[in-house]
Amino acid sequence: MNAQPFHFNPVRIALLSLVLLFLLLFLAAPLCVVFGEAFAKGFGTYLAALTDPEARSAIWLTLMTASAVIPLNLVFGVAAAWCIAKFSFPGKPLLVSLIDLPFAISPVIAGLVFVLVFGRNGWLGPWLSDRDWHVIFAWPGIVLATTFVTLPFIARELIPYMQEQGRDEEEAARLMGANGWQILFRVTLPRAKLALLYGIVLCNARAMGEFGAVSVVSGHIRGKTDTLPLHVEVLYNDYDFSAAFAVASLLTLLALVTLGLKTWLERRGATAPRATR
Amino acid sequence: MSIALSHISKRYGMFRAVDDINLEIPRGELTALLGPSGSGKTTLLRIIAGLEQPDEGGALRFQDQDLAQVPVNERRVGFVFQHYALFPHLSVSENVAFGLRVKPRKQRPSDLSIRKRVDDLLQLVQLASFADRYPSQLSGGQRQRVALARALAIEPEVLLLDEPFGALDAKVRLELRRWLRRLHDELRVTSVFVTHDQDEAMEVADRVVIMNHGRIEQIGSPQEVYHRPASAFVMGFIGQVNVFRGRLPGGANHPSDRHHGRFGAIYFVRPGDVEIQPLARLDAEALTVSRIHAAGPLVRVEMMGQDAQLVTAELSQERFRQLQLVPQQRVQVELRSVHRFDS
Repeated sequence: MNAQPFHFNPVRIALLSLVLLFLLLFLAAPLCVVFGEAFAKGFGTYLAALTDPEARSAIWLTLMTASAVIPLNLVFGVAAAWCIAKFSFPGKPLLVSLIDLPFAISPVIAGLVFVLVFGRNGWLGPWLSDRDWHVIFAWPGIVLATTFVTLPFIARELIPYMQEQGRDEEEAARLMGANGWQILFRVTLPRAKLALLYGIVLCNARAMGEFGAVSVVSGHIRGKTDTLPLHVEVLYNDYDFSAAFAVASLLTLLALVTLGLKTWLERRGATAPRATR
Repeated sequence: MSIALSHISKRYGMFRAVDDINLEIPRGELTALLGPSGSGKTTLLRIIAGLEQPDEGGALRFQDQDLAQVPVNERRVGFVFQHYALFPHLSVSENVAFGLRVKPRKQRPSDLSIRKRVDDLLQLVQLASFADRYPSQLSGGQRQRVALARALAIEPEVLLLDEPFGALDAKVRLELRRWLRRLHDELRVTSVFVTHDQDEAMEVADRVVIMNHGRIEQIGSPQEVYHRPASAFVMGFIGQVNVFRGRLPGGANHPSDRHHGRFGAIYFVRPGDVEIQPLARLDAEALTVSRIHAAGPLVRVEMMGQDAQLVTAELSQERFRQLQLVPQQRVQVELRSVHRFDS
């Protein structure tokens, strides 16, 4: 970065103060409150809130959900990005806008859609309950809703990156005799590695933090279908503030780790050997 | 392996990128596809490689094999891209080894023989000491040599090069094209390269195919297309040329009276075919020297004739000293060779 020498220009100072004030009010203060409240009644209470069976179940459910959602979105994201970035076909603009659909739809609506399809009175409800398969108010429903909400993250990171790289390298690989899988795994994905990791990090953060859609499909069964964000809400509604903030601090830590990883990946991207064009 | 194209066309909507091309590329020769940008030369090369599908009705053959049903990855075509298209995440030696590593297990050489072949190829392109570097650590000329080694690794039947020196600076271009010519003399792989630079095509190629608007204007050796251009386009595209519309400079001094005064005819005269003489004859039309460029092996002299007609001549330094030309001097010219194309 080429930093300009700092001049004490009144406009500059005013703008900087405004930005700092915003950051303080909307980022730093809430962060302090979360950790302050979490430890308000001491470290013992904090630990107790996190090791409580219901909290442990929520942590476990959240991890299980994320570990199912990320592979699903990885496959979808890579496939979609590859199609869009490297091939021309009719209906491509439609596919591009369909990928953005989850961004445009309120997560609550997304959750409701799944209830309408898989719920007891939904299209597939009778068929599912005949076989005693539980989708809504169970882990599969939570995974479905979360997958839907996080669908764009990996594809959206990959598409511009892969488009910018062009097709020359893939064509070169093909001319040297490589088949489709070899091109994908030996050329396209290694070159898009950083964008891919970045997409995974963002997807993970959103998958663990999703509230609206999961809230609709989970049914809030304590100790069974409550994920971390839902558990925070439950505790908060019970006026158990220090426990609520203790669990919330976990999600906050996740956000901070995500931010750190994101910065690190961007740094790597800036210093890694560039594409040869 | 020879390449034969018959009735090859490629349209994009209404635009005919390649228009009914018939072309035989003999085995072992180095052929240049030469033309201005948009003339269809790169599209034609990509059709030969299989990267573009020609329109229905044409046929493409290597030797006697029809390629319509042969997929790109089985054509054994070596292809060199203008922007190198090296894999940035692989070292130089792994780039070169790529084509061998992706072979089906039964045909794949052992690790040891892959390493041997890569070493040989890097030796061939004079980059043996760069094996462990990454493409981003190489200069443009070095990258293009890696790309060439990589293309040769699969022992291609034909080698196709798309503006291979287009992204390089002038000095490296010159070195690399001479080196490519020597390499071709050594390997004798049937090669086709695309260029918009006529000097490059004339210096490197055995045969030059000149294209314009998706069609072939002329096929011939560099000497043929230079000295016996088949069309006005070729004449204008290959080398410097004076274009005269309707009348030739120099009054009665042109080689054939038949040409004189033919309104609408276009005459082409190479600057080297314009002979400058001291003004001697009274009836000769005089031209005025306007500019002299004497830096270089040849001296370029620009002259102004009647009706502000601009004439450029090229003469040797020796002849230039003999004539003792200076700006504003009045001279007469004789045209040694005039080409006329009726449109």
